[in-house]
Amino acid sequence: MIRNVRAAYLMLSPTLVWLLIFLVVPVGMIAVISFTTNLGFGGILYEFSTEAYRLAFSSLYAQAIWQSLWWSIVATVICGVIAYPFAYFIAHAGKWKNLLLLLVMVPFWTNLLIRLYSWIILMNNQGVINNILMKIGIIDEPITMLYTPFAVIIGLVYGFLPFMILPIYASIEQLDKTYLEAAEDLGANPVKTFLTVTLPLTFPGVLSGTIITFVPAVSVFVVTDLLTGGRLLMIGNVIRDAFLVEMNWQLGSAISLLLMILVLISIVVLMKFTSSEDDSSLL
Amino acid sequence: MAKDMVRLENVSKKFGNTYAVEQLNLDIKTGEFLTLLGPSGCGKTTTLRMIAGFEKPNEGNIWINGEKVDKVEPYNREVNTVFQSYSLFPHMTVAENVAFGLKMKKVSKQEIAKRVKEALELVQLANFADRKPKKLSGGQQQRIAIARAIVNNPQVLLLDEPLGALDLKLRKQMQLELKQLQEELGMTFIYVTHDQEEALTMSDRIVIMNQGKIEQMGLPDEIYEKPATKFVADFIGETNLFEGTVMDANPSFATMKCGGRHISIPNTGNFSKNERVYMSIRPEKIHVSAQAGEEDNLLSATLKDEIYIGSVTKIIGEFPDGQKVIAHGSRDILKSCTRGDQLYLHWEPADSVVFEMKEKMEV
Ligand SMILES: Nc1ncnc2c1ncn2[C@@H]1O[C@H](COP(=O)(O)OP(=O)(O)OP(=O)(O)O)[C@@H](O)[C@H]1O
Ligand SMILES: [Mg+2]
Repeated sequence: MIRNVRAAYLMLSPTLVWLLIFLVVPVGMIAVISFTTNLGFGGILYEFSTEAYRLAFSSLYAQAIWQSLWWSIVATVICGVIAYPFAYFIAHAGKWKNLLLLLVMVPFWTNLLIRLYSWIILMNNQGVINNILMKIGIIDEPITMLYTPFAVIIGLVYGFLPFMILPIYASIEQLDKTYLEAAEDLGANPVKTFLTVTLPLTFPGVLSGTIITFVPAVSVFVVTDLLTGGRLLMIGNVIRDAFLVEMNWQLGSAISLLLMILVLISIVVLMKFTSSEDDSSLL
Repeated sequence: MAKDMVRLENVSKKFGNTYAVEQLNLDIKTGEFLTLLGPSGCGKTTTLRMIAGFEKPNEGNIWINGEKVDKVEPYNREVNTVFQSYSLFPHMTVAENVAFGLKMKKVSKQEIAKRVKEALELVQLANFADRKPKKLSGGQQQRIAIARAIVNNPQVLLLDEPLGALDLKLRKQMQLELKQLQEELGMTFIYVTHDQEEALTMSDRIVIMNQGKIEQMGLPDEIYEKPATKFVADFIGETNLFEGTVMDANPSFATMKCGGRHISIPNTGNFSKNERVYMSIRPEKIHVSAQAGEEDNLLSATLKDEIYIGSVTKIIGEFPDGQKVIAHGSRDILKSCTRGDQLYLHWEPADSVVFEMKEKMEV
């Protein structure tokens, strides 16, 4: 028994070393730095201080944190609502399945930065959307879309939708079709079958989609940078500015750590949703 | 009186270019216990799936309770299935699984609770109501699948090897209870099994299938005593199959020649002289003795082996040409014999069955 445990650790050791070097050490450094004293211009005095945290919870930064959370939650929900029917459609598209999947993944080949530029062209006051709406006569004045939370959410949804589609697609695809037949056999029409069997059994896919959409969405900074010209802030912006503009490593580290804790808490909460005794979760 | 509950007319199902079921004609009476028996891949599950509505026949029609069902969706058919793979919903408890069909029919809450409890008691799993099916053994899951189907009290119940995962004792018990239930409720059962004994003891009628077609359809004893084809004789129970040529085809005296031996055969008038035929004789119909008696149709063979199988001993003999023969006899007969000794075999020609050799192609 003991030998088995040892052997298991031995086999895991490359992974453990990798985790140690690339996860534990950097996070540990961030944690340590966040409690040191700021000397200005990136200087670190190794003397205990909670100044960085006091600053992080002050209004400006706290607001950015709450905004990020709120916007990414909204964007994740929208992604879920769009992605489920989308994924369902792909999973039932027969011979078109692979082509459609490819189309979902094509955007990954281009940097998000460049793809977001196209949204500037679309959402501009003189942009495509406003022009079309005015031509049709739905609006008289251009609607200001850029520089608003609306633009941020559009950017987040656009940027992370594939992350939601793929795991949901996988769970629908993997769903054992005999469960659907059993439901039908017992008198459930297609709608009832969907609600009582398909949806609950593919929920783990929705959950993983939610996590891998929410986590990058909450920390991304290019969306706010590009679509609001930096007028609106998300945590990502704040962290980058703390390190690179204000050169306050303590503050940057503190907010990074807070973000990490926040994300961990969200994941744990989300996991609680499914994994009571059922272990079909994709995670 | 007993009208047809399910009727299949010239039903065929193709997957790709091969027929899984070919030109099937079958009438199943109300309240009948009909068993489909046949080797793996012969189309039993496909037949059930067409009745349940999961597969559309390429040709032919199916009627359920007088209604032609080619346009009726599975959820509107008065049929429930016990699936070969159970297909219990993993996200629901055992009780929720069993209640599913009743919920869909909008049966009242109290009624559901009562019937679910009864169904679970029937399969002896009342204590497991709140567990998830994945946490149960294969046999327990199988019984839940039975409860889930039976609780709906359907007109027709399709059972695809519903007892396959159970141990012998539990299987016997469940066989009795299923049979009893079927008779009490007057339900029509279409039952698939690999277990011949199960088929022979439970069924009102047995359908033997092979390669998508019906080989024989009949009462259990008919199937066993009077197999219609070599395939059925070979498939059901243990038998001795001899290949030979008809020598005499007189109504009073018919014989075949097989490896130098002349064997009396029943003359059903279907055979002519010099025709190649198969003959089948069940081991328990062969009488064995150590001394030559006076009987007609007496053959001699050497004792090769004896295998004790409980109530009787299986005697394996060999004819001079090397053809093996199996007979059941009591141990006493062999007291004085050792391997290599001469044995005398005989049987009533009427106990044997002869088939024409149309199945030459397949060995
Ligand atoms: N969905 C399918 N696609 C292609 N071929 C199929 C399909 N379902 C069944 N078949 C084929 O049809 C034939 C009959 O299959 P079926 O499942 O009805 O056999 P079965 O008699 O139930 O066998 P078993 O006793 O092993 O369960 C087999 O040759 C099988 O490979
Ligand atoms: Mg089968």
